[in-house]
Amino acid sequence: MAIPVMMPKQGQSVESCIISQWFKKKGDSVKAGDPLFSYETDKASFEEEAKVDGVLLEIFYGEGDEVPVLYNVAVIGQAGEAVDEFRSGGSAAPAAEATAPPAPATPATPSPTPVAADTKIRVSPRARAIAEKKGINLAAVKGTGPNGRIIARDVEKSPAPALPREMGVSAVPAQHTAPAAANAPAAPVAAYSDAECEVKKLTNIRKLIAKAMHESLQNSAQLTHHLSADVRKLLALREEVKKAQKADPNHPNITLNDMVCWAVIRALEKFPEANSQFLGDSIKTFKQVHLGLAVDTPRGLMVPVLRNADDLSLKGLSNKLRALAEGCRKGGIDPELLQSTAGSFTVSNLGNYGVEMFTPIINVPQVAILGVNTIIQRPADIGGGIMAFVPYIGLSLTYDHRAIDGGPATLFLKEIKTQIENFNMVI
Amino acid sequence: MPKSQFINPKDVRQAGFIEFGKIPVNQYKKELAEERKNYTNDDLIRIYHDMAVIRNFEEMINSIKISNEYNGVKYNHPGPAHLGIGQEAAAVGMAYTLGVEDYIFGSHRSHAEILAKGMSAIAKLNDRELTDIMKNFQNGDTLRVVEKGFKGSVKELAHQFLIYGTMAEIFARSTGFNRGLGGSMHAFFTPFGVYPNNAIVGGSGDISVGAALYKKVNSKKGIVVCNIGDASMACGPVWEGLAFATMDQYRQLWDAAHRGGLPLILNIMNNQYGMGGQTAGETMGYGIAARIGAGVNPEMMHAERVDGYNPLAVIDAYRRKREILADGNGPVLLDVLTYRFSGHSPSDASSYRTPEEVEAWKQFDSIVTFGKELVQAKVASEAQLNEIRESIKNRITEILKVAIDADRSPQLNLNLNADPEAIGKMMLSNGSADSMEPARKPETLMPMEENPRVKQIRGKERFYLDRDGKPVSKMKMFQLRDGLFEAIIDRFYKDPTLVAYGEENRDWGGAFAVYRGLTEALPYHRLFNSPIAEGAIAGTAIGYAMCGGRALVEIMYCDFLGRCGDEVFNQMPKWQAMSGNVIKMPVVIRVSVGSKYGAQHSQDWSSLVAHIPGLKVCFPATPYDAKGLMNAALQGTDPVIFFESQRIYDVGEQFHQGGVPEGYYEIPFGEPDVKREGKDVTILTVGSTLYTALRAADELKAKYGLEAEVMDARSLVPFNYEPVLQSIRKTGRIVLASDASVRGSFLNDMAQNITQLAFDDLDAPAVVVGSRNWITPAYEQEAFFFPQKEWIIDAIHERILPLAGHKSTGNWSDTEMLRRSKMGV
Repeated sequence: MAIPVMMPKQGQSVESCIISQWFKKKGDSVKAGDPLFSYETDKASFEEEAKVDGVLLEIFYGEGDEVPVLYNVAVIGQAGEAVDEFRSGGSAAPAAEATAPPAPATPATPSPTPVAADTKIRVSPRARAIAEKKGINLAAVKGTGPNGRIIARDVEKSPAPALPREMGVSAVPAQHTAPAAANAPAAPVAAYSDAECEVKKLTNIRKLIAKAMHESLQNSAQLTHHLSADVRKLLALREEVKKAQKADPNHPNITLNDMVCWAVIRALEKFPEANSQFLGDSIKTFKQVHLGLAVDTPRGLMVPVLRNADDLSLKGLSNKLRALAEGCRKGGIDPELLQSTAGSFTVSNLGNYGVEMFTPIINVPQVAILGVNTIIQRPADIGGGIMAFVPYIGLSLTYDHRAIDGGPATLFLKEIKTQIENFNMVI
Repeated sequence: MPKSQFINPKDVRQAGFIEFGKIPVNQYKKELAEERKNYTNDDLIRIYHDMAVIRNFEEMINSIKISNEYNGVKYNHPGPAHLGIGQEAAAVGMAYTLGVEDYIFGSHRSHAEILAKGMSAIAKLNDRELTDIMKNFQNGDTLRVVEKGFKGSVKELAHQFLIYGTMAEIFARSTGFNRGLGGSMHAFFTPFGVYPNNAIVGGSGDISVGAALYKKVNSKKGIVVCNIGDASMACGPVWEGLAFATMDQYRQLWDAAHRGGLPLILNIMNNQYGMGGQTAGETMGYGIAARIGAGVNPEMMHAERVDGYNPLAVIDAYRRKREILADGNGPVLLDVLTYRFSGHSPSDASSYRTPEEVEAWKQFDSIVTFGKELVQAKVASEAQLNEIRESIKNRITEILKVAIDADRSPQLNLNLNADPEAIGKMMLSNGSADSMEPARKPETLMPMEENPRVKQIRGKERFYLDRDGKPVSKMKMFQLRDGLFEAIIDRFYKDPTLVAYGEENRDWGGAFAVYRGLTEALPYHRLFNSPIAEGAIAGTAIGYAMCGGRALVEIMYCDFLGRCGDEVFNQMPKWQAMSGNVIKMPVVIRVSVGSKYGAQHSQDWSSLVAHIPGLKVCFPATPYDAKGLMNAALQGTDPVIFFESQRIYDVGEQFHQGGVPEGYYEIPFGEPDVKREGKDVTILTVGSTLYTALRAADELKAKYGLEAEVMDARSLVPFNYEPVLQSIRKTGRIVLASDASVRGSFLNDMAQNITQLAFDDLDAPAVVVGSRNWITPAYEQEAFFFPQKEWIIDAIHERILPLAGHKSTGNWSDTEMLRRSKMGV
């Protein structure tokens, strides 16, 4: 029985490989273990060997062709056997490869056209101008013009975001259900009479948040890791600050949040892959940290961005973050700074609300967001076999698996923990 | 096709023979002694002097061209120089008898004619007249250069002025006769009766006929001489000019005051070579060029070959021929035999002739032989003649120094910090003149109010709906053709110089009935049928306008523009600027875009003429616009190609509130007009496609709720983009549509400009909808060729704004676009 030779999947993020050389021709006899062809990803090159003995009945892709992973590239069998059913895309037969990861990315379309889901954003000049004026992120707009071009009508119907897209925080807990509300049709409501409930049209801000949240979840591969960091040092320092303030009201008011942000910035310097934006066909990594901070305001959630936050001293950082938050609450913040594209990483702190753990939603196209939780006393070995209650702060890192793999994400989160635990007050 | 002339089959079917008479060849046999009664000594010495000036002038240019130096003066002249060394006697003989009111036209080799005619004029004008001419020409710019430090008589100054003005023109100086914009091949000076010389071989062949027409129609004094080479007798426009110049109607149909042949001498400057081709013996078959006269009319054009190496023989011929013209028996053809010692141009290696041949002709060098005769007849001594030549050489050397002096004789400075638009300002004159000759009363046959067509139109509805809002029947409606007629007849009663002609213009009333009614209003010489000779129709209009008249001519179908390509592309657009704005060109050419008549009678060629700098181009599509633009065209002083469409001669006015005004009004060139307002997409059209676009707009509204703003370009050149940009600021989208084949359509030029100017306002690229790049098929298949309303909607759907539920009627894909381009269709 003829069996297909598939393009192996080399790594989670690899979607296609290029065949560099065929070692066998169509019609050649092959033995299991014979090298069939070499191929390469953007990182490395590999050789694929025959898994069975037989005749190389058909080759579907030639040298230089880019082939989606798990696509059939050739067929081995006995002379005379039919090969058409294996033609690329016809049947990917995932079961043949024990090593094949479950499911994702296997193309379901019968089209042999490789990869190249068109990731280029086409925008008419007029639509671009309107989007800029209204502060709409074009990456999230679906174009309805020719070739999927975003045209004026696509951005005209999007309301201006009084808020930036994202995120998992609000003063009104009920709003956390917004994404679901945006998605859910009115059907369940009909089961109850109008007297039994109140139906309100969505406000524009609500619609916007709904759309942003939904798109973030729909268009990225998000997952969250949780970790805790010992904050004894931070709390001690905070006490010192409070004392110093009593003595001198002008002493800078360094908050716990400031210190966590400081630690995050230091960690980002070591893990630039987290200080990035995912752009579909490329990843933009920033040379400096542009830190977004979720701020609760009477108008709703806002995420102002502190540009070049890594340039600042702790005192400078504290002042700037406070000023930004003030700007949001009072209005008058530069709308440029509210764009999700303005930030390279975001911190959302729900610690004050006693939240023990949550999964913040990424402010796309950023690739990660850190949720900061409340502090919990936990039993811990404080050395010398002595167990004691130690204050731990919960850290929840949501990251986009399209951009970062689990390993580096974890290491990055651990680095934040390390930075917090080894914090040194340098004002 | 006048009814007054009965074509009797009995007569025309009679047997017989065509008899040709004799054409004289070199019959002048007089000795100088016999001519003494006709010339004073001064006259004869002047003839010698004028020939010597020309010889010296041409030798100077030759020396500059081949050695960058003349008589110790260094200069590099990169431009052309087609010299007539050896042709002096022909030029001086031709010009000797001519007065200032006699006009000469010439060729690329006409330095000799400019100088000869200029010196002849100077001899005939008095000091006051000369001073006035020199002072008034180009604000005295040329005179100022030559009079500085000049000591001598006014006539001597005028000689200085003539030689300098010509030389400075050849060297592209702004103080030259044509601001340096004409140059060697086009220089001329109208105050001395020197009209444009023409770098296109045979170019003057029909233009000069128009000048003679101007003299005749407007009863002006003087004759017209067309100096043209022997080889140009092969050119179509020359033959067309001959046909036009010898029409029977001048003698048979025109009224008594204008009866008689055109006052034209076609003077073949027969130097026996066309560049390097021998016209007798190689490239032509006439043997002796004068023979051509025999084939043109029964008078054989009074043709004659004259010895162009004897100035007195040429003068003798001109005295005799002038009488023929005065008797109304023109035109005349003269074959003036001559020879150039110089090459076609200084770079000519003369590979086509032997040194022996040149040497043999030098034995008869007119300056040498005529000088000998003067000495023999004791008119002048050898020393006197030597002194004349020596003084000319010194004069030309001194003038050369001034003409190449960048301070005294600057070229137009086109640098950004000087006058970057010096040429741009001269391309169009943008004048406004009710009449080209306000002092004269127009000749008409009846008061305008009594004209039957005028009376008929008075009863028509001037809007397409009547007072009750009901559509008016075609018969009762004021149509587009009526709008044209009103503008045209109005001008005939304002401007006595206005003439209209073309094929079937008189009794027929034009092929599309625009002129019906004019026949009753106008005498023959103001409205007549021309031969089927589009080159001559356009060319004569050009010559007519050069002399100061206004012409409205018709090329029945747009497709026939190719038949007058040189006239429309090279002559009409160029002369205003090439003359340094001495000449105005109030010529309107009406062209009609056909339909139903297949591949050679249905093309919109507005793009071709819009490409040529120096023309105005318009294409009205409504009666209101047609009348207003025709008024503007006929009021102006620029050449206009006026497009009409046979699809819409009968449309009524649907847009202008109150209908087409009865009185006079103008629609300025270059202003597009919004015919229907809308906010979602702009459709800009040229010509009758306006109505296709309106139907598309109806459907867009009904089916897709889109409000299209429909604009009519009305003019192509000039064109004001502002209103279009304003529309796009609102709609963000634009489709351009016309019946022109889409490849190379002027709409692409517009689309490209619009894209540059409105880029940030655009929601999609500007899209052009035109006809296919095919032949126009039969009427039944035209829907596959010309833009249809569906095509406009498809273009919006496929390339601008996808319309929910719309199904395109054609293939609008990128691959199809690429395929068509690759296939060249």
